Amino acid sequence: MGVQELVGIVPWTFIAQILNLFIQMYLIKRFLFKPVNAMLEKRKAAADAQIQDAAKAKEEALALKSEYEQSMQEARSKANEIVNNAQRTAALKSEEMLKEASQQAVAIKAKAESDIEQEKRKAINEVKNEIGGMAVEIAGKVIEREVSEEDHAKLIDQFIANVGEAS
Amino acid sequence: MDINITGGRIFYEIPIDFPLLGRFQITETLVVSWIVMLLITGLCIWLGHDLKEENISKRQALAEMLVEMAEKFVVGNMGEAFRYMIPFVAALFTTSVVSNLISLIGLRSPTADLSTEAAWAVVVFTMITAQKIKTSGFGGYLKGFTTPIPIMTPFNILSELATPISMACRHFGNILSGVVINTLIYAALAVASSALLGLLPGALGGVLSRIPILDVGIPAVLSVYFDWFSGVMQAFIFSMLTVMYIANAAEG
Repeated sequence: MGVQELVGIVPWTFIAQILNLFIQMYLIKRFLFKPVNAMLEKRKAAADAQIQDAAKAKEEALALKSEYEQSMQEARSKANEIVNNAQRTAALKSEEMLKEASQQAVAIKAKAESDIEQEKRKAINEVKNEIGGMAVEIAGKVIEREVSEEDHAKLIDQFIANVGEAS
Repeated sequence: MDINITGGRIFYEIPIDFPLLGRFQITETLVVSWIVMLLITGLCIWLGHDLKEENISKRQALAEMLVEMAEKFVVGNMGEAFRYMIPFVAALFTTSVVSNLISLIGLRSPTADLSTEAAWAVVVFTMITAQKIKTSGFGGYLKGFTTPIPIMTPFNILSELATPISMACRHFGNILSGVVINTLIYAALAVASSALLGLLPGALGGVLSRIPILDVGIPAVLSVYFDWFSGVMQAFIFSMLTVMYIANAAEG
């Protein structure tokens, strides 16, 4: 078996090595770069799709949010309205009640006044009768004789008239 | 003690003389080159099969990292327009690295044969020239030799030719020096250990001095530089120069 020279170019080896280099290039391209790049491409596409999905989801979420905010706004104004209505009703009712109460108070007062008046009259009448009796008695005692019924009645009326004037 | 440093062995010679090219020889260089190619291709197939989009394995992460590194190296130095150069530069670098490092398992590096580097350098030189002609046209390319003054033409031609020669010889020289120094060191250490152990008295010394004990371990330290560092470095330099020369050629 021979050996080559230590330093030298062998034409066939030279050509073969050029071919080897290109074959190697093809093999690396075919078995490493092609699958890896294809995979990277696919992954990029997937990532892009995900980003797009996310953007769409965000858009939807924003739409939902504005819708929600709008409905919240509506609900709030409605609530305000309800509260206002309630307040107004309550105010009206309380006013009415107050009025009623004062009316009632006035009625009660009037009734009480008329009651008092009646009682007063009743008391006066009673007093009148009693005083009448007493006057007759006193008169009888003074005169020491029976006063006639007619004089009696006259005296009483006279007396009452005097009392009425005095009171 | 005789030390014989020669080129690669010739396993088979096809006994047909071609004009200019001589006989086709199946040399050690070629056989180891094919082994290197098988290794790289096997590695590529192993790295590139069964790739997933998510939940990736360590193997796939490595494959992606390598592809991205190659991409960054080429695109970063040459620009987006030279994306098609990625597989070529990757092949050049990988073949060079694996060829340089295969000497670690006892095979003779194909890069310890000038034919290999010459082949690569000529390919690269062709690409550089093609790129120059593409950029400034054939006339512009020829005119480029006469700059800055016509008298410089011979020197410009020389410097043009120096590119592939220096590229090939730099790479080859580094690897060959590794081979030579390794051979010398093994031989020297064998002599040293035989002399050292020969000092032992009697039959013990006689037996032990035949075993080159110093050859174990010590060359490995030197191999860190001459095989690992030099091997990777030369591959990197060769690829870097390729990329740079072609990128420069594109600028015109």
